[in-house]
Amino acid sequence: MAIFGECFRISLSTAMAYRANFIMVMTILFFSNTLFPLVTILIYGSGSGFPGWTFYEVLLIQAVFTISSGIGEVFFNGLFWNTNFAIRDGLFEVSLLKPVNALFWGVVSSIQPTGISVVLGGVAMAAVALAHTAPLTVASVSMAALLFLCGVSVTFSVTCFMSAISFKWVGNSRIPEMFGSILDFAKYPQDVFPLAVRGFTTIVMPVAMIGYYPAAALLGRADGASFVAIVPCAIFSVFAIWFYQKMIHRYEGVGG
Amino acid sequence: MTDAARGSCIRVRDLTKTYETYKRGSTFAETVRSFFRRERIEVKAVDGISFDVGEGGITGLLGPNGAGKSTTVKMLTGTLFPTSGEIEVMGYVPFRNRARYVRQIGAVFGQKSQLIWDIPPSDSFMMNRAIYGIPKGEYDKRLGMMCELFELGEIVNKPTRVLSLGERMKCEFIMAMLHNPKVVFLDEPTIGLDVIAKQRIRDFIREMNALGTTFVLTTHDLEDVEQLARQVVIINHGQKVFDGDLSALRKTLGDKKIIRLTLAKPAEGLEIPNAVITGRDSELELTLEADVSKTPVSALLKNISSRCEFTDISIKELPMETVITRIYQDGSAPIRG
Repeated sequence: MAIFGECFRISLSTAMAYRANFIMVMTILFFSNTLFPLVTILIYGSGSGFPGWTFYEVLLIQAVFTISSGIGEVFFNGLFWNTNFAIRDGLFEVSLLKPVNALFWGVVSSIQPTGISVVLGGVAMAAVALAHTAPLTVASVSMAALLFLCGVSVTFSVTCFMSAISFKWVGNSRIPEMFGSILDFAKYPQDVFPLAVRGFTTIVMPVAMIGYYPAAALLGRADGASFVAIVPCAIFSVFAIWFYQKMIHRYEGVGG
Repeated sequence: MTDAARGSCIRVRDLTKTYETYKRGSTFAETVRSFFRRERIEVKAVDGISFDVGEGGITGLLGPNGAGKSTTVKMLTGTLFPTSGEIEVMGYVPFRNRARYVRQIGAVFGQKSQLIWDIPPSDSFMMNRAIYGIPKGEYDKRLGMMCELFELGEIVNKPTRVLSLGERMKCEFIMAMLHNPKVVFLDEPTIGLDVIAKQRIRDFIREMNALGTTFVLTTHDLEDVEQLARQVVIINHGQKVFDGDLSALRKTLGDKKIIRLTLAKPAEGLEIPNAVITGRDSELELTLEADVSKTPVSALLKNISSRCEFTDISIKELPMETVITRIYQDGSAPIRG
């Protein structure tokens, strides 16, 4: 915790070293993330929609997804870019010189306080959505909180995978786009997708847990399948962490 | 500590590192061809080297560019996995017990900074204090001592990006040594520095070595080696070609001296037994390389006096640069130290 606290303080100092940039990044992140449900607004505005789901219910899924992404933005999304650049430039040994787990160091040294504006954007969207949906209960909130934590672990695992792949695909900056297109499935009600897609997003790469399942729990629409979906999340997370540690062995540095 | 490591602080045996890379070619056609079919090539960066480093010593790891020095240092620091061979540093196998091992060592990479660019070095130091769990009192004492040695003053409170290279390098040393490591690896620590900054860093290394820290340094600056290293290991083409002390290194080409001679008048066809003229700056200024193992200095002087008239003479050791250059050019033939 002492290392985490110190790294958070340093990240904040680093981010605030350039005040104009800090304010601009915070503002842009807030608006770009609160405006991304524009497609959903257009779909519902044109009279179409997702069968069985109101606009505000879909907005809630997207709000939960945004909050989870925001937490990732603050605490671990920087891991990918830091790892990617460090491998390409041969600077990864500087991380390996720290007497802590390399993944832990990668995470704590990648904290980006500006990501808090994404969380705030998600909270604002959730507030709007919840004002138009059924009232919350203690049970639904507790269940959603548990599933949300699982969703955050999936977000973290996806970042681990992307970072680990950087050890093989050195300097590939398109990796986030590849994974981003899969993450997009988490922003929509899962029952609108074919069974094969649902199986993939719930079992193989359980991204549905990032937005859909916690939001469904808040809406009182969670069922047994929601809890069963925790198992693939745990397996996915353990595998992602193992994969990252394993891929470190591939690091070869660059010429002197 | 294991038995194997008891005699020396660092023990390296048959260390090998092989990289796999692809041949891409330089012409457009080759580039296009390599896009579809790449030829895989194996590069042996380090090829079965063995050496020991004694506790409390300063060892210079020398070699031309691409010889495998930095790769060796990276494997010694546990940041690179060897392909085969053994490494033991203070009883640790670096690549197996990395997190525990790196707590005992420090490293300064001349071309890779551990400082955080946008904030002052003092913040980076605080971060290392948290990572290594250094008690406040010990941290303050050690930081104060090192800042004093480097005469850094308020420099540590300025953002890293505004510091000069020399100031930054001093801070890199502090960053690497705050936790009082027993062994410190330096990869070209004086690269790009002016003579004053280089000397300050060498003084610092000497001071810390006197306090018991073992240093292993790679450098291209032979002044670093002459002033600091007691043991020298030379690597060429990934193989060890010399391992011994400085005086042994100087004698690898024989017991030779350089004689600078200023003649009183030109001496055509001058020939001195067991000495060759290697330079002629003018008609009157000559440089000779003499083998004093065959002709002692006193006899050599007599030979010169009897063959020419001179107004000035100086006798010096064979420059280290000459010794090293000849070893590098010799390829990978091992030389005993």
